[in-house]
Amino acid sequence: MPDEHALIAASQAGDAAALDELVRAHQGRVYGFAMRMCRNVEDAKDILQETFLGMLRSIREFRQDSRFTTWLYRIAANACLKKRRRGVHDPHPEQKLSLDTLMPHPDAGGRRPEIPDWSSDAERALLNGELSAQMEAAIDKLPRDYKIVLLLRDVEGFTADETADMLKLSVSAVKSRLHRARVFLRNELAGYFEDTGAKKPEKF
Amino acid sequence: MECRELFARLSEYMDGELSQELCERIRQHLANCLPCVNFAHTLKTTSELCRRLPSRPIPPDVAAELRAFLSSQRQAS
Repeated sequence: MPDEHALIAASQAGDAAALDELVRAHQGRVYGFAMRMCRNVEDAKDILQETFLGMLRSIREFRQDSRFTTWLYRIAANACLKKRRRGVHDPHPEQKLSLDTLMPHPDAGGRRPEIPDWSSDAERALLNGELSAQMEAAIDKLPRDYKIVLLLRDVEGFTADETADMLKLSVSAVKSRLHRARVFLRNELAGYFEDTGAKKPEKF
Repeated sequence: MECRELFARLSEYMDGELSQELCERIRQHLANCLPCVNFAHTLKTTSELCRRLPSRPIPPDVAAELRAFLSSQRQAS
């Protein structure tokens, strides 16, 4: 793929082939992100179209002082969030994850809960292709405001600053949501690995 | 540092966002608390697994639809 700066400059100058190349270069990632947010192909297609139409229409405004993917994903992320609010019945629109609920608690007898380390089981399961379905299902259980932060930070690899900028949140809000999302996921995976047998646990 | 306080700061610790002083206090706690070590390790694993999730390729028909859509939009403007 040619240098992205050159592609962007050409696109800004109206070069249709360069624009097509830019779309081709990013459509896969944006589609994957949209599918994880929306969970169905029709909505993901809408997000895809809105994102790249937005790119087409405002590419001349893109200044190469920020990363192109950050700029592009800002459009995609906001399209995902807007889509949610538009009419679709969401039974848990403002669901919050509480750290207190997420952290390990003593059992009924007051004993500290056990915390096994299933990390190497997870590594093995990922390599065997057994884990991604579990991960995707766990991610899908996240309330949307947490899911989007987790996807942008841990799946797509944006920094906390970039994510905050994209979502118009404070950096501390991003960090807080990310942490809760990660703990939630960890607990989901713990449930899976502890059912299937794991290493000797340590009492928390 | 109590387990509860460490718990709240684990992601920041993993991501290298805490001061040296706080990191040191966390390390000291972890040296003496195996359950927290296991929790921290599985949390880090979870985060790393997200990074390594296989990416699904865009279906050719979806890509084609997008191309057609953008093309029609460009012709319209």
